[in-house]
Amino acid sequence: MLTKLALRNVFRNRRRSAITLLVIVFGAVGLILFGGYKAITFHGLRESTIRNRLGHLQIYKAGFERAEAKKPLEYGLEDVAQLRRAIQSDKRVRMTTAQITLMGLVSNGDKSETFMATGVEPKEDKAMNAQRLVAGTDLPVNEPDAVIIGRGLAASMHAKPGDYLTLMSTTTSGSLNAIDVRVAGIFMSGVKEYDDRAIKMPLAGAQQLLQTAKVERLLVMLNDTDDTAAVRASLAALFAKNHWALEMKEWSQLATFYHQVVLLYNGIFGFIGMVVFAIVIFSVANTIVMSIFERTREIGTMMAIGTTRASVMRLFLAEGLLIGIIGGVAGLLFGAGISNLINRAHIMLPPPPGYTQGYPLRVMLQPAILVTAFLIAVITSTLSSILPALKASRLKIVDALGHI
Amino acid sequence: MHQQPLVRLTDVTRTYPLGRVNVRALSGVSLDVDGGDFLALAGPSGSGKTTLLNLIGCIDKPDSGRILIDGVDVTAVPLHRLASTRLHTLGFIFQTFNLIPVLTAYENVEYPLLLQHVPAAKRRERVRYWLECVGLGDQALQRPDQLSGGQRQRVAIARAMAGEPKLVLADEPTANLDSVTAAKILDLVEEINARTRCTFIFATHDPALMARARRCVRMHDGALVTEPHLEARAS
Repeated sequence: MLTKLALRNVFRNRRRSAITLLVIVFGAVGLILFGGYKAITFHGLRESTIRNRLGHLQIYKAGFERAEAKKPLEYGLEDVAQLRRAIQSDKRVRMTTAQITLMGLVSNGDKSETFMATGVEPKEDKAMNAQRLVAGTDLPVNEPDAVIIGRGLAASMHAKPGDYLTLMSTTTSGSLNAIDVRVAGIFMSGVKEYDDRAIKMPLAGAQQLLQTAKVERLLVMLNDTDDTAAVRASLAALFAKNHWALEMKEWSQLATFYHQVVLLYNGIFGFIGMVVFAIVIFSVANTIVMSIFERTREIGTMMAIGTTRASVMRLFLAEGLLIGIIGGVAGLLFGAGISNLINRAHIMLPPPPGYTQGYPLRVMLQPAILVTAFLIAVITSTLSSILPALKASRLKIVDALGHI
Repeated sequence: MHQQPLVRLTDVTRTYPLGRVNVRALSGVSLDVDGGDFLALAGPSGSGKTTLLNLIGCIDKPDSGRILIDGVDVTAVPLHRLASTRLHTLGFIFQTFNLIPVLTAYENVEYPLLLQHVPAAKRRERVRYWLECVGLGDQALQRPDQLSGGQRQRVAIARAMAGEPKLVLADEPTANLDSVTAAKILDLVEEINARTRCTFIFATHDPALMARARRCVRMHDGALVTEPHLEARAS
């Protein structure tokens, strides 16, 4: 009876209920769209950070993180072949790749610039799809003295594919060394600051420049990001069993930018959530207060014929709850529909700060976001009916009935 | 042996603040109403009829004096704790019918039975019975706004009776009805009173109603004036 009464009362003043529902639907749709946008941004940023740059796990020689190395690659890994075979026997692992990072000066004969180079394995690097070539070719597999350089650096060096540059750096023994390299291609990563300094060279070339056979780290790529913690645990067990003095880091420990974006977006999402919360609260409270005002005599009658205060309270709470549920469901339907429309429309957004490329606007419909939006609609709607319901249940019957 | 009256008011006073002055709506009213009575509270507007009815109906409190309903002192209990007394012992019929607009005639009659937790089968039977009694068996599914004034008051009577109260309080039940409809309503109530021995107290200034009452109490300025027993008519 309570539900029936509440439901009929909700639809009694259709225009007013429709406006309230519209507010809730707008709020829910807003939460779903922004939540979905946030989710796809996080997901995209996470996967690109991992797959193009960091790998899921990075393995170093023990002590790498805390010790300030006196010389380059003092904490480098020697003979990674056995380690790689052991790691790659795990089916969750897609591939491993060794890398060296180094810094130095690059010169075209007329001027010098500082560079940050990554020594990579050309085949694996290509698979990681870390950069987009804008001229020339990728790193050739069997040419240790070929490099690809960032677009900004290429412009500064006036270099084009086929030109030669000189790279100078400190070797592992502490002396200076220089090699001539051929520019095979020019790339862009999307981050301007990086493209202004970046060089990618084959691992063999980097080892030649540093005069070493060591590598700095081993990147482990998994098939599924969700396996990261589990694989980390089994690798730790593997290292312990073989007495390998190694240490590991997860992508999440290395992805500072990703975490900053997550923090920022979550802050914005929280703020929007609070605004929606406030609007729904006021809107539903207004509806229920108006409804109580119009139904004062009816409330008086119900109480006169034996309805308890608690029942009157429950009735108005139920009305708030029902408005929330109806609005929440409608919000989910509209939110899902609009999300689909947006995803099909292929709208391009301008490049975010620090990037040179725009990206398509997409919304990811995650169950968690839908559930959150629905719960916010229902909870705020119910919460906002508490005070009016309390007021209704405290009406004096005689006054409510319209007598003195 | 004289049995205990259903309603006993002893020296009941009620004052309302009206602006800056206090208006004395009832001053020292004492009244006994026996079970099965058919009592009219007569008097001009402002004489205190409705106030008296509200006090007996446990929806208002006296400033002083005592009210016993079915042997229970209701003056000592806060109003919101008297919901159960109102539900089980009392029935209400209002001048403006006061049906719940979103419920059908059937559901309006059913409402107090749901509050009383009457089992479904018995509830259905009782609602049907009382709708038939008031001649609205065919209008069970109509909402109040689809019924005439007389029909609405019949639904209200069915609602008041369905809960099987000992006492029904009616405030100007015929004031919003034309004389023909009002007469039919009175026939109905009189018949119900005779058949169920349920006590009825009316506040009214309708002479037709006063004439039919077995007992008529006249009020003036918040006090009882006369109490002519109309036993002769009843016999």
